[in-house]
Amino acid sequence: MAAAAAAIRPMRLAALTRTRSSVFQTAYNPTSARTGAKYLRARLRGPSMVKYYTPEANIAQLIRQWPELEMINLAEDERLQDVEDKKKRGKGAPKKAKEKGDSRRASRRR
Amino acid sequence: MPNARVLRDIKARNIVKANEILRKAYLYVARNETLSPQVRHQAQLQLNTFGKYTRPTTVKNRCTESGRGRGIISEFALCRYQFRLKALKLELPGVRKASW
Repeated sequence: MAAAAAAIRPMRLAALTRTRSSVFQTAYNPTSARTGAKYLRARLRGPSMVKYYTPEANIAQLIRQWPELEMINLAEDERLQDVEDKKKRGKGAPKKAKEKGDSRRASRRR
Repeated sequence: MPNARVLRDIKARNIVKANEILRKAYLYVARNETLSPQVRHQAQLQLNTFGKYTRPTTVKNRCTESGRGRGIISEFALCRYQFRLKALKLELPGVRKASW
């Protein structure tokens, strides 16, 4: 069959693309206008960003989460023991100043 | 306890993830040429009010061992020196000294 010498009318081509996009349920944008659809189409990067650093295991946090496991935090127990020893020796932390004049700095000036 | 800069980066990543969808929505409105310029301008102004940690450009890949910001090999999340140390100890699977 001989091909038509005159080109197919642009109106018919436009109608064709319109029906094609309605049949296949794709977006119809004959003028290639910028609709910003690319920002909606792009995949989210947030979840992969957050997974970059491995979360560090914090013993204190684990003890708080599962108290039934009765885990021991050695470093913390040792620290508390040191504080007790210091108190026995009389080297415990000084009392917190209630007013401005009570602080050690103020009494040093006099 | 990781580096202060690493902590800042972790904070940025969490905030970016929380705001990503909202930012994308505003960006879509601001970049949509079929909408009226007033609406687009409003959306752009709203985008400008977002804090710096909501922007994905604030996020930077850092070394997970040392916290170094430069010379990072993304596949291993390590800076070049830490990569070398681990590779020589054969702690990185499939990595060996090149010779050809």
